[in-house]
Amino acid sequence: MIDRSEGFFRMRTLQGLVLLIFVILIGRVAYIQFFNAEYKRGAARNVMRIDVQYPPRGEIFDRRGEYLAQSRECYDLMVVYRDMDKEGFDTMRLCQILDMQPRRLKQRLNDARAYPRAPQRVANYVSKEEKLRLDAEGFRGFYTVSRTVRHYPLHVGGNLLGHLSEVSQSYLDRHPEYSKGDYAGIGGLESAYEEDLRGKKGVKIMERDPRGAIKGSYMDGMFDSLPESGRYLTSTIDARLQRLGEELMEGKVGAAVAIEPSTGEILMMVSSPTFDPEELVGRERGNNYIRHLNNKRNPMFNRAVKGKYPPGSTFKLVQGLIGLQEGVLKPSDLHPCHGGYKIGRGVACHAHASPADLRFAIATSCNAYFCYVFRDIIDNPKYGSVKKGYEVWYDYVKSFGFGRELGSDFLDENGGYVPTREFYDRVYRNSWNSLTVLSLSIGQGELGCTALQMANLGAIIANRGYYYIPHIVKAVEGTDSLDRRFYEKQYTKVDPKHFEPVVEGMWQGVNVAGTSTQARLEGYDVCGKTGTAQNPRGRDHSTFLSFAPKDNPKIAISVYVENGGFGASVALPIASLLEELYLTDTIRRPEMLKRIKDMKIYYPAYDK
Amino acid sequence: MTSNRSGSLFSGVDRWTVLLYMLIVLVGWFSITAATYDETVPQLFSFAHFYMKQVVWIAVAAVVALFVLLLDDRYYHMWAYPAYIFGLLILLSTLVIGKEINGAKAWISFGSFNVQPVEFVKIATALAMARLMSEYTFSIARIGDLMKVAFLLAIPLLIIILQNDTGSGLVLGSFLFVLYREGLNKWLCIPILLIATLFIASFLLSPLALLLLLIVLCTFSEMMVSGQVRSRIIFVAGMFLAAMLLMVISTMLFENGLDLYQALLIVSLTTTLGLAIYSFRFNLAHTFITLILFAGSVIFLLSVDHVFNALEPHQQKRILSFMGIINDPAGADYNVNQAKIAIGSGGLFGKGFLQGTQIKYGFVPERHTDFIFCTVGEEWGFLGTLTILTLFALLILRLMRMGERQEEPFGRIYCYCVAAILLFHVLVNVGMTVGLMPVMGIPLPFMSYGGSSLIAFTILLFIAIRLDASTRVFNPNKL
Repeated sequence: MIDRSEGFFRMRTLQGLVLLIFVILIGRVAYIQFFNAEYKRGAARNVMRIDVQYPPRGEIFDRRGEYLAQSRECYDLMVVYRDMDKEGFDTMRLCQILDMQPRRLKQRLNDARAYPRAPQRVANYVSKEEKLRLDAEGFRGFYTVSRTVRHYPLHVGGNLLGHLSEVSQSYLDRHPEYSKGDYAGIGGLESAYEEDLRGKKGVKIMERDPRGAIKGSYMDGMFDSLPESGRYLTSTIDARLQRLGEELMEGKVGAAVAIEPSTGEILMMVSSPTFDPEELVGRERGNNYIRHLNNKRNPMFNRAVKGKYPPGSTFKLVQGLIGLQEGVLKPSDLHPCHGGYKIGRGVACHAHASPADLRFAIATSCNAYFCYVFRDIIDNPKYGSVKKGYEVWYDYVKSFGFGRELGSDFLDENGGYVPTREFYDRVYRNSWNSLTVLSLSIGQGELGCTALQMANLGAIIANRGYYYIPHIVKAVEGTDSLDRRFYEKQYTKVDPKHFEPVVEGMWQGVNVAGTSTQARLEGYDVCGKTGTAQNPRGRDHSTFLSFAPKDNPKIAISVYVENGGFGASVALPIASLLEELYLTDTIRRPEMLKRIKDMKIYYPAYDK
Repeated sequence: MTSNRSGSLFSGVDRWTVLLYMLIVLVGWFSITAATYDETVPQLFSFAHFYMKQVVWIAVAAVVALFVLLLDDRYYHMWAYPAYIFGLLILLSTLVIGKEINGAKAWISFGSFNVQPVEFVKIATALAMARLMSEYTFSIARIGDLMKVAFLLAIPLLIIILQNDTGSGLVLGSFLFVLYREGLNKWLCIPILLIATLFIASFLLSPLALLLLLIVLCTFSEMMVSGQVRSRIIFVAGMFLAAMLLMVISTMLFENGLDLYQALLIVSLTTTLGLAIYSFRFNLAHTFITLILFAGSVIFLLSVDHVFNALEPHQQKRILSFMGIINDPAGADYNVNQAKIAIGSGGLFGKGFLQGTQIKYGFVPERHTDFIFCTVGEEWGFLGTLTILTLFALLILRLMRMGERQEEPFGRIYCYCVAAILLFHVLVNVGMTVGLMPVMGIPLPFMSYGGSSLIAFTILLFIAIRLDASTRVFNPNKL
């Protein structure tokens, strides 16, 4: 027995202990109940089974209503690991049906084990037949979810259309509205119009008990929604032209773009080599993707909007137009050419009659003539210095859509390159003049532009001085117009009245005498300009810029074939055949068609 | 011994305690209703409902409470030992005729009605404790008397452990609370408390670290009790030296000599044995108890490994997950995690009566029995849990106060026993639902569904009220 005061002290100690215990308990409960949201989320995860209902993705038509991309029914095989019959489950049978490697299945199931209550995907691209067989087999814990995948009936336009890919973690971070397992468009039309195409996922929230049994709709379906299909797109592409373009470009590396000058609609956009978009659908997707990725010619690189090429002689058109606007050139001005421009390092030229006026210089692609023009522009005394003159010239070039992004609906468009004055100041340490940069006069040197920009130049000349921003979509379902920018005329800094002599020069080159006579089409006044661009990667690049007919043009086209040699040897026939098909609906030059189709260019730079 | 043979039934009954009791039972009933409400049973008053069954149990409990109050308080003193013996016999019989529920063979089945005898053994043990410690000759400082107390507690504990119902058995450990109040040397409480934590530590520390820790702690507590510092330090240092020597010699003699842990183990156990005999003969009580504690702990630790391996896999997993050694939200952690989710989803104000999704759809296991606290948490939010915990805290403090105002040690010790039992239950039960304690299947007093538990706790509490009532009738000045 202890004395009273000691007893009292001990009672107080024990009271303190009791209070301490309850304070700890209450503190812990308070922490769980309102300082840690994790448990609330856990409750939602527990009770709700969120059944996502995937909408069919919007389909893509060409300008004539042919399917470029269709949506086809397919299924995802899901598993709820906890519900699986772990002992009686016939792994081999499932693998057999899905044609899946057991190792892979095992791995997927292992992953699913981490979230035993959440549905996890085991396989995608399950076909209808496979789904029916799976249903018949009735594997416990497995079920299928309806999805749609792409189908490309024409097998054209790999880079143009882009492809669908399951969203990556980094994509999810940037686009929180997506969730794991969703598909999103990568590149081309699919990514540019992702928001229109994807539609809206529907959701059905079910309440369930811990055994996973559905207890009914959560809150009487208050939060449920039906999937909304994606909008369909009518593209500006002409599928026939696209297919022919891809066929003609086969075996060559390069790009070809055709634009309708009166609207800016892109009729065709070929990047070669290309790939069949169908290859990036289904279970072989991964393998094909890697194969394309490892291909040195890089088929998944859209050269039409991303490949930077020297424009070569086609750039002489721009040179002439600037000269006319600047008043340093009259169409009738004559300049001599005896095998080239002999001042400074000089520029060589092929043999032709001399002297030449502007029209003839364009038709015959005289190098010397445009050296004179270029020097007259930037050496113009009224600007005080060559560098000031160069800045004026630079602004003109920019107004033609070079050295900047055109603003088309391709998200990954490349702006190309036009050297700035500062660039030369830096490179030449402030000591340069018009002779130093003379190669610019014939579209060589540091210039880089895309096939889209070159085709756009064709459209500008065809329109005599303006263009519409090139675009790939004609109409989106449920909207009455596209973005405003596609309806606004974009004028260059050159007055439309100066275009006629240049157009005539291009017409002469095809229809009278010059470098482009092969491009002639009876009854259609084709205008064209060849280009042969020197480059450090071997043979000259072959390019051709053309539009037709001369009056009221229907098509402007640019073809660029890497290492193709003379402009007239590869690029011109390709452009001409495409124009023929577009304007006349037939091809009357089968031997040319065959020759070009069979032509394979050897690329040491890629294939070593 | 005082009594109130002349007073009315309720004279002297502590109204506050009864009120707290009734409130807790009422909240418990609502929680059971919420946890088990089954929309598919059309009749609201059908006995298919748990809440209707519980109504019956509450009625029975009320009758039992009245009966307890009716009995003369002398009987409780008189029957303490017979009840204890009787309780032990029933407990023993459970080992033979018992029914196994949740892995514990701790139930006796009468048709569909299961009784857990341990609930009643708690009462008997509390009474026996009170009787033993209130004997006139009893002195807590004397080793022989302490051994009697230890014996009194050890027998039921042993049987309960044999039943594989360790959770319930640990309740008896809460009597330390009472021993402290009755004057147990405070330095002895520390090593006892530490043994509880040792169990947990045994999964986290290496055997050598544990052994060192034990030696240091026991030496320290013994030093504080005896006041002899120097000799104890010399003793421990000598022990270490001997262990080192043993290690070195054994390594030289045999190819696989002893390591430090083995050497220290041998040295410390042999010296402990010798010292224990010495201290027993010279009546050095504290030293003896410390040594016994030390030896017990070492043996306990040695057996933990063995016991752990003998546990069912699900029990092993539970223990390991509680220690944070494995973390598997779908496996062993599942119950606790779901309990926390249910409580956490309640927030400040809760989801409202019968609105709890976690409870209703059965995500929480044992939601109307051991995990009833989750229902309160989910449906009534923090306000509900705060209220419940406050009610329990008030009840326990009230019981301690009742104990303090007793004339006789018997009443005081008994009241403290009740307070200790309730505190242990609330701490472990609520603790396990919020992840502070391992999952041991013990009910929340007065709230968990089940007749046997409710009636047992009612008897436990009302005996205390009864004892207190007699004191107050004869000492009206004392409140």
